[in-house]
Amino acid sequence: MRALRSITGATIRQVLGLRRAIIFGLAAMAPALVFLLTSQALVDEAALDRFLGMVIGLYFPLLVPIVALIISASALGDERRDGTLSFLVLRPIPRSVISGSKFLGAVLVAAGLNALGGAALAIVYGVETGSWDVVLPLVAGGIVASIVYASLFVPLGFFTDRAVLIGLAFVFIFENGIVSALSGLSTLSPWRLGLSTFAALVPDQVASQLVDIGIANLSGLGSALFTTVVIAALSIAATTLVLRRRDLA
Amino acid sequence: MTSNPALVESPTIEVDDVSKWFGQKVAVSNITCSFGPGVTGLLGPNGAGKTTTLRMLTGLIRPSQGDIRVLGVWPRTKPSVYSNIGLVPEDAAVYPEMTAREYVRYAATLAGVSDAQAATDRAIDTVALDDAADRKLAGFSKGMRQRAKVAAALVGDPQVLLLDEPLNGTDPVQRLHLINLFQQLGDEGRTVVVSSHILDEVERMSDRVIAIVDGRLAAAGDVAAIRSAMTDIPYRVRIETDKSRVLAARLLEESLVHGVSVDDGILHVETDDLAALGGRVPAVAHEVDARITTFQPEDASLESVFRYLVRKR
Repeated sequence: MRALRSITGATIRQVLGLRRAIIFGLAAMAPALVFLLTSQALVDEAALDRFLGMVIGLYFPLLVPIVALIISASALGDERRDGTLSFLVLRPIPRSVISGSKFLGAVLVAAGLNALGGAALAIVYGVETGSWDVVLPLVAGGIVASIVYASLFVPLGFFTDRAVLIGLAFVFIFENGIVSALSGLSTLSPWRLGLSTFAALVPDQVASQLVDIGIANLSGLGSALFTTVVIAALSIAATTLVLRRRDLA
Repeated sequence: MTSNPALVESPTIEVDDVSKWFGQKVAVSNITCSFGPGVTGLLGPNGAGKTTTLRMLTGLIRPSQGDIRVLGVWPRTKPSVYSNIGLVPEDAAVYPEMTAREYVRYAATLAGVSDAQAATDRAIDTVALDDAADRKLAGFSKGMRQRAKVAAALVGDPQVLLLDEPLNGTDPVQRLHLINLFQQLGDEGRTVVVSSHILDEVERMSDRVIAIVDGRLAAAGDVAAIRSAMTDIPYRVRIETDKSRVLAARLLEESLVHGVSVDDGILHVETDDLAALGGRVPAVAHEVDARITTFQPEDASLESVFRYLVRKR
């Protein structure tokens, strides 16, 4: 446990320097700020429409993936690039602890920032409408999506320096392009797993509003959580295997 | 007593017919040697295969062929053995956002040291880094980083210490301190392997040398034996003089001169004994009334010496 805690703590410091903390902190506030500026005169259903527009137009498809993939790709990728991976793997600790800690560190930072952004957006909506029951669903959705992105991009960061570029292509071409056109593929989209979690936890009135604005074919909560857990477990196992098998210098 | 100078009686590290290739490039070829308690220098020119060998010893990379055992096991199959192995890599390998103290403490924690703070303080003191211990590694010079890496390698009190060019970037005072430290660690019975491309450096800290050139074992044994093997290398000397042909003819009469040639007025002389030639040439020049402006050994780089040793094997 000492090793897990130490590596996780070091990973958090590594992926979230002061400059990144400021930039990502401000970026996380962007949806809330945009909503605040554009929803002043709106009430009830119009405010809900605008809020959901922020959720499905800015928060899930842009903020969550970008924050999560940049943070995740650097968790193990920076160690490889800086030559510090040898420092880690030459310690008397199982490789599974290293991969688990790197994953956990990336998830804590990415999910933390995205939860902050989601909470800020939902709180602004709550202040304007008095409806607070979207705060936890949005935070939960951001966390679920962050976990899935970390599962994909922590190992990818180990393999290539272009993980962020590949990630952006994945988000903008595959998720926001192909999957949007072919809704049957929605289970392959991490941010849609987050949106599914959000949709499953919000009150019925909000959920039906989501359907009205065209958000359908989402996984249920159980399915989204199961998929997330399976992807995370596979990611940690794959990273462990790579650290055991591959030449590391 | 083993007759092969590349092998030791009670090895802690055994390298058995090990080769490593990366695609078409052979980095290490059929090396068999062993290391035991004390300081051993792993000597060779840049690109000889020293770093690859050290990385294989630690398990960072696996051999393409052959077996490696450190403290009886191939480290990668048994991570617990890393509590007894310390590596100081040549490349960066430090976290710039950490202070030196945090870095060494991180190493102590991951090594499972029970009192990590006390061990950290001891290790920092051992490398004389106390004054800079609370500064971020990002601002460290290369020499200071090297010392921080040595402290991180020592904090777990390992039996085996592998150091890849640990003196690079250090100033003369730091260098002397580290050399004394490595000797002390060797005297305590630890296996210390220090790679370097500088023979004099290795000579100052170790009695035994494994020399690698072009990925092959070039020479092994005590430093005196390596030195002796180098004495019969034919040297080529460039002499610039105002009477090159006259001097060439006279030098050919000397038994220590094997051959002469004059090229564009510059005299090239071949000899087995560089020092003796250096002593004889001024006298000969005086005899023929020639003025020497340059006396410069050619082709006497460490690399050429190593290559000669490889050819000789």
